[in-house]
Amino acid sequence: MRSVGICGIGHTKFGEYPGSFLTMLCQAALEAMDDAGTSGGPHHVIDQILVSTMGAGILNHQSGVASAVADALALCPAMAETVENGPASGGSALKLGYMAIASGLCDCVLVVGGDQMTRVPGPVATDFVATMLHPEAEYRLGLTLPAFVGMFTRLLMDKNGITPRDLALLAVKNHANAMLNPLAQLHKPVALSDLMDKTETRRRDRIIADPLRLYDACPISDGAAAAVLCAMDRTQALGLRTPVRIAGIASATDTHVVANRADPTRLDAVRISAQHAYQMAGLHPADVDVAELHDAFLILELAESEEAGLFPRGTSHLALRRGETAIGGRLPINPSGGLKAKGHPLGATGISQVVELVHQLRGEAGERQVPGARTGLAINFGGFGNNVVSTLVTTRKEDA
Amino acid sequence: MALFAYRCRNCGLFTFPLPCLCRSCGGREFEAVPLSSRCRLITWTRLFALPSGYKKPWRSFGIAEFENGLRVTGVLDCKNPMVGMELHAVRGIVRTHPDARSETGFIFQAENGPGLLP
Repeated sequence: MRSVGICGIGHTKFGEYPGSFLTMLCQAALEAMDDAGTSGGPHHVIDQILVSTMGAGILNHQSGVASAVADALALCPAMAETVENGPASGGSALKLGYMAIASGLCDCVLVVGGDQMTRVPGPVATDFVATMLHPEAEYRLGLTLPAFVGMFTRLLMDKNGITPRDLALLAVKNHANAMLNPLAQLHKPVALSDLMDKTETRRRDRIIADPLRLYDACPISDGAAAAVLCAMDRTQALGLRTPVRIAGIASATDTHVVANRADPTRLDAVRISAQHAYQMAGLHPADVDVAELHDAFLILELAESEEAGLFPRGTSHLALRRGETAIGGRLPINPSGGLKAKGHPLGATGISQVVELVHQLRGEAGERQVPGARTGLAINFGGFGNNVVSTLVTTRKEDA
Repeated sequence: MALFAYRCRNCGLFTFPLPCLCRSCGGREFEAVPLSSRCRLITWTRLFALPSGYKKPWRSFGIAEFENGLRVTGVLDCKNPMVGMELHAVRGIVRTHPDARSETGFIFQAENGPGLLP
Protein backbone atom coordinates (compact mmCIF):
# COMPACT_ATOMS: atom_id res chain seq x y z
CA MET A 1 0.00 0.00 0.00
CA ARG A 2 1.16 3.52 -0.71
CA SER A 3 1.66 5.88 2.22
CA VAL A 4 -0.92 8.64 2.55
CA GLY A 5 -0.60 12.06 4.14
CA ILE A 6 -2.66 15.15 4.85
CA CYS A 7 -1.40 18.21 2.95
CA GLY A 8 -4.11 20.71 3.70
CA ILE A 9 -6.79 21.37 6.33
CA GLY A 10 -9.80 23.67 6.60
CA HIS A 11 -12.40 24.35 9.27
CA THR A 12 -15.31 26.74 9.70
CA LYS A 13 -16.13 28.23 13.06
CA PHE A 14 -18.53 25.84 14.72
CA GLY A 15 -21.81 27.17 16.10
CA GLU A 16 -24.50 28.77 13.99
CA TYR A 17 -23.55 29.13 10.32
CA PRO A 18 -25.41 31.93 8.55
CA GLY A 19 -25.00 30.72 4.94
CA SER A 20 -26.20 27.71 3.01
CA PHE A 21 -25.11 24.12 3.61
CA LEU A 22 -23.21 24.06 0.33
CA THR A 23 -21.47 27.37 1.05
CA MET A 24 -20.38 26.05 4.43
CA LEU A 25 -18.88 22.89 2.94
CA CYS A 26 -17.12 24.86 0.21
CA GLN A 27 -15.67 27.34 2.71
CA ALA A 28 -13.91 24.54 4.61
CA ALA A 29 -12.89 22.77 1.39
CA LEU A 30 -11.40 25.91 -0.17
CA GLU A 31 -9.44 26.61 2.99
CA ALA A 32 -8.02 23.08 2.90
CA MET A 33 -7.15 23.36 -0.77
CA ASP A 34 -5.43 26.73 -0.21
CA ASP A 35 -3.56 25.27 2.77
CA ALA A 36 -2.42 22.33 0.63
CA GLY A 37 -1.30 24.64 -2.16
CA THR A 38 -3.83 23.63 -4.77
CA SER A 39 -7.03 24.97 -6.24
CA GLY A 40 -10.00 24.08 -8.40
CA GLY A 41 -10.22 24.89 -12.08
CA PRO A 42 -9.11 23.26 -15.32
CA HIS A 43 -5.72 22.05 -14.03
CA HIS A 44 -6.73 20.82 -10.58
CA VAL A 45 -5.06 17.71 -9.13
CA ILE A 46 -7.96 16.27 -7.10
CA ASP A 47 -9.05 12.84 -8.31
CA GLN A 48 -11.84 12.19 -5.82
CA ILE A 49 -14.14 14.18 -3.52
CA LEU A 50 -15.73 12.54 -0.49
CA VAL A 51 -18.40 14.49 1.39
CA SER A 52 -19.40 13.25 4.84
CA THR A 53 -22.77 14.26 6.22
CA MET A 54 -25.38 12.60 8.34
CA GLY A 55 -28.16 15.15 8.02
CA ALA A 56 -28.07 16.61 4.51
CA GLY A 57 -31.11 14.64 3.45
CA ILE A 58 -33.15 15.04 6.63
CA LEU A 59 -32.14 18.52 7.82
CA ASN A 60 -31.31 20.26 4.52
CA HIS A 61 -33.55 18.28 2.20
CA GLN A 62 -30.57 17.83 -0.06
CA SER A 63 -29.17 14.74 -1.76
CA GLY A 64 -26.26 14.29 -4.15
CA VAL A 65 -24.21 16.76 -2.08
CA ALA A 66 -20.85 15.54 -3.40
CA SER A 67 -21.88 16.36 -6.97
CA ALA A 68 -22.81 19.87 -5.86
CA VAL A 69 -19.44 20.33 -4.15
CA ALA A 70 -17.54 19.08 -7.22
CA ASP A 71 -19.29 21.61 -9.43
CA ALA A 72 -19.12 24.51 -6.95
CA LEU A 73 -15.35 24.06 -6.51
CA ALA A 74 -14.68 23.59 -10.24
CA LEU A 75 -13.36 20.10 -9.63
CA CYS A 76 -15.28 18.24 -12.35
CA PRO A 77 -14.68 15.61 -13.69
CA ALA A 78 -13.26 14.33 -10.35
CA MET A 79 -15.09 11.36 -8.83
CA ALA A 80 -17.46 12.43 -6.08
CA GLU A 81 -19.48 10.52 -3.48
CA THR A 82 -21.31 11.25 -0.25
CA VAL A 83 -20.46 9.19 2.84
CA GLU A 84 -22.91 8.57 5.70
CA ASN A 85 -21.94 6.73 8.86
CA GLY A 86 -23.83 8.64 11.53
CA PRO A 87 -21.59 10.81 13.72
CA ALA A 88 -18.58 8.84 12.42
CA SER A 89 -19.22 9.93 8.83
CA GLY A 90 -16.15 12.18 8.85
CA GLY A 91 -13.81 9.44 10.05
CA SER A 92 -15.28 7.08 7.47
CA ALA A 93 -14.74 9.58 4.65
CA LEU A 94 -11.10 9.97 5.72
CA LYS A 95 -10.72 6.20 5.77
CA LEU A 96 -12.23 5.82 2.30
CA GLY A 97 -10.00 8.62 1.02
CA TYR A 98 -7.01 6.84 2.51
CA MET A 99 -8.07 3.57 0.86
CA ALA A 100 -8.52 5.24 -2.53
CA ILE A 101 -4.96 6.59 -2.43
CA ALA A 102 -3.31 3.59 -0.77
CA SER A 103 -4.79 1.31 -3.41
CA GLY A 104 -3.36 3.41 -6.21
CA LEU A 105 -6.77 4.39 -7.59
CA CYS A 106 -6.19 8.06 -6.73
CA ASP A 107 -3.25 10.35 -5.97
CA CYS A 108 -5.16 13.17 -4.30
CA VAL A 109 -8.52 13.19 -2.50
CA LEU A 110 -10.51 16.07 -1.02
CA VAL A 111 -12.48 15.04 2.09
CA VAL A 112 -15.01 17.53 3.41
CA GLY A 113 -17.77 17.01 5.93
CA GLY A 114 -20.40 18.99 7.73
CA ASP A 115 -23.90 19.33 9.04
CA GLN A 116 -26.29 22.16 9.85
CA MET A 117 -28.27 21.26 12.93
CA THR A 118 -29.21 24.59 14.48
CA ARG A 119 -31.97 25.39 11.99
CA VAL A 120 -34.38 22.91 13.51
CA PRO A 121 -35.84 22.97 17.04
CA GLY A 122 -33.92 20.97 19.67
CA PRO A 123 -36.45 18.11 19.91
CA VAL A 124 -36.39 17.72 16.11
CA ALA A 125 -32.57 17.56 16.15
CA THR A 126 -32.78 15.01 18.98
CA ASP A 127 -35.21 12.92 16.96
CA PHE A 128 -33.02 13.16 13.84
CA VAL A 129 -29.96 11.94 15.75
CA ALA A 130 -32.04 9.11 17.25
CA THR A 131 -32.80 7.75 13.78
CA MET A 132 -29.43 5.99 13.93
CA LEU A 133 -30.76 3.69 16.65
CA HIS A 134 -32.32 0.33 15.84
CA PRO A 135 -35.67 1.19 14.24
CA GLU A 136 -37.65 -1.63 15.85
CA ALA A 137 -35.95 -2.33 19.16
CA GLU A 138 -34.99 1.23 20.14
CA TYR A 139 -36.08 4.22 18.03
CA ARG A 140 -39.79 3.52 17.98
CA LEU A 141 -39.88 3.37 21.76
CA GLY A 142 -38.78 7.01 21.91
CA LEU A 143 -35.22 6.19 22.90
CA THR A 144 -32.49 8.70 22.09
CA LEU A 145 -28.69 8.79 22.21
CA PRO A 146 -28.72 10.59 25.59
CA ALA A 147 -30.92 7.80 26.97
CA PHE A 148 -28.32 5.17 26.11
CA VAL A 149 -25.48 7.32 27.40
CA GLY A 150 -27.42 7.89 30.63
CA MET A 151 -27.78 4.12 31.12
CA PHE A 152 -24.09 3.61 30.28
CA THR A 153 -22.99 6.41 32.60
CA ARG A 154 -24.92 4.96 35.54
CA LEU A 155 -23.14 1.62 35.19
CA LEU A 156 -19.65 3.01 34.54
CA MET A 157 -19.80 5.50 37.42
CA ASP A 158 -20.80 2.70 39.76
CA LYS A 159 -18.22 0.25 38.41
CA ASN A 160 -15.21 2.59 38.41
CA GLY A 161 -16.03 5.06 41.17
CA ILE A 162 -16.46 7.98 38.75
CA THR A 163 -18.20 10.87 40.50
CA PRO A 164 -20.28 13.83 39.28
CA ARG A 165 -17.24 15.93 40.22
CA ASP A 166 -15.16 13.98 37.68
CA LEU A 167 -17.65 14.75 34.93
CA ALA A 168 -17.58 18.40 36.02
CA LEU A 169 -13.76 18.33 35.83
CA LEU A 170 -14.03 17.16 32.22
CA ALA A 171 -16.42 20.01 31.40
CA VAL A 172 -14.09 22.54 33.03
CA LYS A 173 -11.08 21.18 31.11
CA ASN A 174 -12.73 21.06 27.70
CA HIS A 175 -14.42 24.45 28.08
CA ALA A 176 -11.04 25.93 29.07
CA ASN A 177 -9.40 24.35 26.02
CA ALA A 178 -12.12 25.73 23.74
CA MET A 179 -11.34 29.22 25.04
CA LEU A 180 -7.98 28.81 23.25
CA ASN A 181 -9.59 27.65 20.01
CA PRO A 182 -11.01 30.53 17.93
CA LEU A 183 -13.10 28.10 15.87
CA ALA A 184 -14.82 26.50 18.88
CA GLN A 185 -18.55 27.00 19.42
CA LEU A 186 -18.57 27.63 23.16
CA HIS A 187 -16.30 30.40 24.33
CA LYS A 188 -17.60 30.23 27.84
CA PRO A 189 -15.39 29.06 30.70
CA VAL A 190 -17.08 27.08 33.44
CA ALA A 191 -15.82 26.81 37.02
CA LEU A 192 -15.89 23.62 39.01
CA SER A 193 -17.56 25.43 41.90
CA ASP A 194 -20.37 26.58 39.59
CA LEU A 195 -21.05 23.08 38.31
CA MET A 196 -20.99 21.55 41.77
CA ASP A 197 -23.19 24.05 43.64
CA LYS A 198 -26.92 23.76 44.04
CA THR A 199 -27.94 27.25 43.12
CA GLU A 200 -28.85 28.98 39.86
CA THR A 201 -26.06 27.51 37.71
CA ARG A 202 -26.91 24.02 38.90
CA ARG A 203 -30.56 24.57 38.06
CA ARG A 204 -29.56 25.57 34.53
CA ASP A 205 -27.41 22.44 34.42
CA ARG A 206 -30.58 20.37 34.46
CA ILE A 207 -30.79 16.60 34.20
CA ILE A 208 -31.34 15.45 30.60
CA ALA A 209 -30.97 11.68 31.01
CA ASP A 210 -30.39 10.76 34.64
CA PRO A 211 -27.58 10.84 35.76
CA LEU A 212 -26.48 12.96 32.76
CA ARG A 213 -26.82 16.72 33.03
CA LEU A 214 -26.85 19.39 30.34
CA TYR A 215 -23.18 20.25 30.90
CA ASP A 216 -22.28 16.60 30.39
CA ALA A 217 -23.35 16.84 26.74
CA CYS A 218 -22.17 18.62 23.59
CA PRO A 219 -24.14 21.48 22.03
CA ILE A 220 -26.11 21.37 18.78
CA SER A 221 -23.87 22.72 16.04
CA ASP A 222 -23.38 23.80 12.46
CA GLY A 223 -19.96 23.47 10.92
CA ALA A 224 -17.69 21.94 8.32
CA ALA A 225 -14.13 20.63 8.21
CA ALA A 226 -11.96 19.47 5.32
CA ALA A 227 -8.67 17.80 4.51
CA VAL A 228 -6.68 17.26 1.33
CA LEU A 229 -5.13 13.77 1.28
CA CYS A 230 -2.30 12.84 -1.05
CA ALA A 231 0.05 9.95 -1.76
CA MET A 232 3.23 10.75 0.19
CA ASP A 233 5.36 10.06 -2.89
CA ARG A 234 3.32 12.38 -5.10
CA THR A 235 3.11 15.57 -3.04
CA GLN A 236 6.18 17.20 -4.59
CA ALA A 237 5.15 16.36 -8.15
CA LEU A 238 1.70 17.79 -7.51
CA GLY A 239 3.11 20.91 -5.86
CA LEU A 240 1.47 20.22 -2.50
CA ARG A 241 2.54 21.11 1.02
CA THR A 242 4.61 18.68 3.10
CA PRO A 243 2.08 16.25 4.54
CA VAL A 244 1.41 14.84 7.99
CA ARG A 245 1.30 11.07 7.52
CA ILE A 246 -1.76 8.96 8.29
CA ALA A 247 0.04 6.10 10.01
CA GLY A 248 -3.00 3.99 10.81
CA ILE A 249 -6.73 4.18 10.17
CA ALA A 250 -9.30 1.51 10.95
CA SER A 251 -12.93 1.09 11.81
CA ALA A 252 -14.95 -1.55 13.63
CA THR A 253 -18.59 -2.28 14.34
CA ASP A 254 -20.51 -3.53 17.35
CA THR A 255 -24.11 -4.72 17.78
CA HIS A 256 -26.66 -2.22 16.54
CA VAL A 257 -29.04 -3.31 19.30
CA VAL A 258 -27.24 -1.99 22.39
CA ALA A 259 -28.97 -4.45 24.74
CA ASN A 260 -27.34 -7.36 22.88
CA ARG A 261 -23.85 -6.49 24.16
CA ALA A 262 -22.43 -8.99 26.64
CA ASP A 263 -20.96 -6.25 28.85
CA PRO A 264 -22.92 -2.99 28.73
CA THR A 265 -19.92 -1.03 30.08
CA ARG A 266 -17.59 -1.99 27.23
CA LEU A 267 -17.17 -0.24 23.88
CA ASP A 268 -15.69 -3.04 21.81
CA ALA A 269 -15.68 -1.16 18.50
CA VAL A 270 -13.47 1.54 20.04
CA ARG A 271 -11.03 -1.03 21.37
CA ILE A 272 -10.87 -3.07 18.16
CA SER A 273 -10.60 -0.12 15.76
CA ALA A 274 -7.86 1.45 17.89
CA GLN A 275 -5.95 -1.85 18.09
CA HIS A 276 -6.12 -2.23 14.30
CA ALA A 277 -4.92 1.35 13.80
CA TYR A 278 -1.97 0.80 16.18
CA GLN A 279 -1.04 -2.45 14.39
CA MET A 280 -1.23 -0.79 11.00
CA ALA A 281 0.96 2.08 12.21
CA GLY A 282 3.43 -0.07 14.13
CA LEU A 283 2.74 2.18 17.11
CA HIS A 284 1.50 1.68 20.65
CA PRO A 285 -0.75 3.66 22.99
CA ALA A 286 2.40 4.91 24.76
CA ASP A 287 3.44 6.61 21.51
CA VAL A 288 0.39 8.88 21.50
CA ASP A 289 1.26 12.46 22.46
CA VAL A 290 -2.19 14.02 22.02
CA ALA A 291 -5.69 12.63 21.47
CA GLU A 292 -8.97 13.95 20.15
CA LEU A 293 -11.70 11.71 21.54
CA HIS A 294 -15.42 11.74 20.74
CA ASP A 295 -16.84 13.34 23.89
CA ALA A 296 -20.35 13.99 22.59
CA PHE A 297 -21.08 13.08 26.22
CA LEU A 298 -18.26 13.62 28.70
CA ILE A 299 -18.28 10.09 30.07
CA LEU A 300 -17.21 8.90 26.59
CA GLU A 301 -13.86 10.71 26.88
CA LEU A 302 -13.02 8.53 29.88
CA ALA A 303 -14.41 5.30 28.41
CA GLU A 304 -12.76 5.76 25.00
CA SER A 305 -9.38 6.64 26.52
CA GLU A 306 -9.40 3.31 28.34
CA GLU A 307 -10.69 1.27 25.38
CA ALA A 308 -7.93 2.82 23.23
CA GLY A 309 -5.33 1.72 25.77
CA LEU A 310 -4.29 5.22 26.84
CA PHE A 311 -5.01 4.35 30.49
CA PRO A 312 -5.60 1.06 32.31
CA ARG A 313 -9.28 0.19 32.77
CA GLY A 314 -10.95 2.00 35.61
CA THR A 315 -8.23 4.63 36.00
CA SER A 316 -8.84 7.38 33.44
CA HIS A 317 -10.81 9.50 35.93
CA LEU A 318 -7.85 9.30 38.32
CA ALA A 319 -5.54 10.60 35.56
CA LEU A 320 -8.05 13.38 34.95
CA ARG A 321 -7.99 14.33 38.65
CA ARG A 322 -4.18 14.51 38.49
CA GLY A 323 -4.37 16.86 35.49
CA GLU A 324 -2.69 14.39 33.15
CA THR A 325 -5.18 15.00 30.33
CA ALA A 326 -5.01 18.80 30.46
CA ILE A 327 -2.83 20.80 28.07
CA GLY A 328 0.57 20.63 29.77
CA GLY A 329 -0.26 17.25 31.27
CA ARG A 330 1.27 13.88 30.38
CA LEU A 331 -1.32 13.10 27.67
CA PRO A 332 -3.55 16.03 26.68
CA ILE A 333 -7.00 14.95 25.50
CA ASN A 334 -9.25 17.20 23.45
CA PRO A 335 -7.06 20.31 23.36
CA SER A 336 -9.48 21.64 20.73
CA GLY A 337 -12.24 21.73 23.35
CA GLY A 338 -13.61 18.40 22.14
CA LEU A 339 -17.12 17.90 20.92
CA LYS A 340 -18.23 19.15 24.32
CA ALA A 341 -17.11 22.73 23.76
CA LYS A 342 -15.74 22.98 20.21
CA GLY A 343 -19.09 21.63 18.94
CA HIS A 344 -20.35 18.55 17.15
CA PRO A 345 -21.72 19.11 13.64
CA LEU A 346 -21.96 15.35 13.07
CA GLY A 347 -20.56 14.92 9.53
CA ALA A 348 -17.72 17.36 10.25
CA THR A 349 -16.59 15.89 13.56
CA GLY A 350 -14.27 13.07 12.47
CA ILE A 351 -12.46 15.40 10.07
CA SER A 352 -12.39 18.22 12.64
CA GLN A 353 -10.64 15.92 15.12
CA VAL A 354 -7.91 15.15 12.59
CA VAL A 355 -7.64 18.83 11.60
CA GLU A 356 -6.82 19.61 15.24
CA LEU A 357 -4.21 16.84 15.31
CA VAL A 358 -2.58 18.19 12.15
CA HIS A 359 -2.43 21.66 13.75
CA GLN A 360 -0.80 20.07 16.80
CA LEU A 361 1.71 18.04 14.78
CA ARG A 362 2.64 21.03 12.65
CA GLY A 363 3.23 22.99 15.87
CA GLU A 364 0.72 25.66 14.87
CA ALA A 365 -1.93 25.23 17.57
CA GLY A 366 -1.07 28.48 19.30
CA GLU A 367 -1.93 28.71 22.98
CA ARG A 368 -3.34 25.19 23.01
CA GLN A 369 -0.19 23.66 21.50
CA VAL A 370 0.93 20.37 23.04
CA PRO A 371 4.72 20.81 23.18
CA GLY A 372 6.65 18.36 21.02
CA ALA A 373 3.57 16.47 19.78
CA ARG A 374 4.58 13.96 17.11
CA THR A 375 1.74 11.42 17.10
CA GLY A 376 -1.98 11.99 17.56
CA LEU A 377 -4.98 9.67 17.92
CA ALA A 378 -8.56 10.48 16.92
CA ILE A 379 -11.57 8.35 17.87
CA ASN A 380 -14.75 9.08 15.90
CA PHE A 381 -17.71 7.31 17.53
CA GLY A 382 -20.80 6.44 15.48
CA GLY A 383 -24.19 5.40 16.83
CA PHE A 384 -23.88 4.35 20.43
CA GLY A 385 -20.49 2.83 19.70
CA ASN A 386 -21.73 0.57 16.92
CA ASN A 387 -19.43 1.99 14.22
CA VAL A 388 -16.16 3.62 15.25
CA VAL A 389 -13.19 4.98 13.27
CA SER A 390 -9.73 5.33 14.83
CA THR A 391 -7.04 7.39 13.10
CA LEU A 392 -3.36 7.81 13.95
CA VAL A 393 -1.41 10.67 12.39
CA THR A 394 2.28 11.19 12.90
CA THR A 395 5.35 13.14 11.88
CA ARG A 396 7.57 10.17 12.72
CA LYS A 397 9.52 8.67 9.85
CA GLU A 398 7.86 5.61 8.39
CA ASP A 399 10.62 3.20 9.34
CA ALA A 400 11.11 4.66 12.84
CA MET B 1 -50.56 -8.51 24.30
CA ALA B 2 -48.44 -11.65 24.56
CA LEU B 3 -44.82 -11.39 25.56
CA PHE B 4 -42.56 -13.18 23.09
CA ALA B 5 -39.02 -13.37 21.72
CA TYR B 6 -37.28 -15.36 19.01
CA ARG B 7 -35.21 -18.50 19.49
CA CYS B 8 -32.60 -19.75 17.04
CA ARG B 9 -33.67 -23.23 15.88
CA ASN B 10 -30.02 -24.26 15.59
CA CYS B 11 -28.35 -23.13 18.84
CA GLY B 12 -31.26 -21.99 21.00
CA LEU B 13 -30.09 -18.37 21.49
CA PHE B 14 -32.94 -16.04 22.47
CA THR B 15 -33.06 -12.74 20.65
CA PHE B 16 -35.26 -9.71 20.01
CA PRO B 17 -36.06 -8.30 17.51
CA LEU B 18 -36.02 -10.94 14.78
CA PRO B 19 -32.52 -11.02 13.23
CA CYS B 20 -31.51 -12.19 9.76
CA LEU B 21 -28.76 -14.42 11.15
CA CYS B 22 -28.04 -15.75 14.63
CA ARG B 23 -25.07 -13.80 16.04
CA SER B 24 -24.00 -16.89 17.97
CA CYS B 25 -24.07 -19.64 15.31
CA GLY B 26 -25.05 -18.00 12.00
CA GLY B 27 -28.34 -19.93 11.91
CA ARG B 28 -31.11 -18.54 9.73
CA GLU B 29 -34.22 -20.12 11.20
CA PHE B 30 -35.98 -18.71 14.24
CA GLU B 31 -39.22 -19.46 16.04
CA ALA B 32 -41.34 -17.08 18.06
CA VAL B 33 -41.56 -18.35 21.64
CA PRO B 34 -43.51 -17.09 24.67
CA LEU B 35 -41.43 -15.24 27.24
CA SER B 36 -41.72 -15.46 31.00
CA SER B 37 -42.39 -12.00 32.44
CA ARG B 38 -39.74 -12.20 35.19
CA CYS B 39 -36.67 -10.08 34.50
CA ARG B 40 -33.96 -8.07 36.25
CA LEU B 41 -33.03 -4.43 35.73
CA ILE B 42 -29.51 -4.08 34.27
CA THR B 43 -29.48 -0.27 34.00
CA TRP B 44 -31.91 2.60 33.57
CA THR B 45 -32.32 6.31 32.92
CA ARG B 46 -35.02 8.93 33.24
CA LEU B 47 -35.01 10.88 30.00
CA PHE B 48 -36.08 14.53 30.15
CA ALA B 49 -34.83 15.57 26.69
CA LEU B 50 -37.49 13.71 24.75
CA PRO B 51 -37.62 13.66 20.95
CA SER B 52 -40.25 15.61 19.02
CA GLY B 53 -43.80 14.29 19.27
CA TYR B 54 -43.84 13.84 23.04
CA LYS B 55 -46.04 15.90 25.30
CA LYS B 56 -44.70 14.34 28.49
CA PRO B 57 -42.09 15.89 30.82
CA TRP B 58 -40.01 12.73 31.06
CA ARG B 59 -39.99 9.02 30.47
CA SER B 60 -37.88 6.26 32.02
CA PHE B 61 -36.16 3.54 30.03
CA GLY B 62 -34.23 0.48 31.08
CA ILE B 63 -32.39 -2.57 29.87
CA ALA B 64 -33.63 -5.76 31.51
CA GLU B 65 -32.44 -9.35 31.42
CA PHE B 66 -34.87 -12.26 31.31
CA GLU B 67 -34.27 -15.62 32.95
CA ASN B 68 -33.26 -17.12 29.58
CA GLY B 69 -30.46 -14.55 29.20
CA LEU B 70 -32.27 -12.33 26.70
CA ARG B 71 -31.67 -8.60 27.22
CA VAL B 72 -34.00 -5.98 25.79
CA THR B 73 -34.53 -2.26 26.11
CA GLY B 74 -37.96 -1.06 27.14
CA VAL B 75 -39.99 1.58 28.91
CA LEU B 76 -39.53 1.51 32.67
CA ASP B 77 -42.74 2.03 34.63
CA CYS B 78 -41.45 1.96 38.18
CA LYS B 79 -41.36 4.61 40.92
CA ASN B 80 -37.97 3.93 42.48
CA PRO B 81 -35.82 1.98 40.03
CA MET B 82 -32.64 0.32 41.26
CA VAL B 83 -30.06 -1.62 39.27
CA GLY B 84 -30.50 -5.34 39.94
CA MET B 85 -34.13 -5.16 41.08
CA GLU B 86 -36.61 -7.81 39.99
CA LEU B 87 -39.16 -6.63 37.43
CA HIS B 88 -42.24 -7.88 35.67
CA ALA B 89 -42.35 -7.33 31.89
CA VAL B 90 -45.48 -6.77 29.85
CA ARG B 91 -46.00 -5.84 26.22
CA GLY B 92 -48.02 -2.70 25.65
CA ILE B 93 -48.26 0.68 24.01
CA VAL B 94 -44.99 2.50 24.59
CA ARG B 95 -45.51 5.58 22.45
CA THR B 96 -48.40 7.36 20.81
CA HIS B 97 -47.61 9.72 17.94
CA PRO B 98 -49.37 13.06 17.42
CA ASP B 99 -51.34 11.50 14.54
CA ALA B 100 -52.63 8.80 16.98
CA ARG B 101 -50.47 5.98 15.62
CA SER B 102 -49.09 3.94 18.46
CA GLU B 103 -46.03 1.75 19.01
CA THR B 104 -45.87 -1.37 21.13
CA GLY B 105 -42.93 -2.69 23.06
CA PHE B 106 -41.62 -4.00 26.35
CA ILE B 107 -42.73 -2.25 29.54
CA PHE B 108 -40.95 -3.14 32.79
CA GLN B 109 -42.89 -2.79 36.04
CA ALA B 110 -41.95 -3.35 39.67
CA GLU B 111 -43.24 -6.64 41.00
CA ASN B 112 -45.65 -4.79 43.31
CA GLY B 113 -47.26 -3.00 40.36
CA PRO B 114 -46.72 -0.21 37.87
CA GLY B 115 -45.35 3.19 38.83
CA LEU B 116 -47.95 4.93 36.65
CA LEU B 117 -46.28 6.27 33.54
CA PRO B 118 -46.37 10.08 33.26
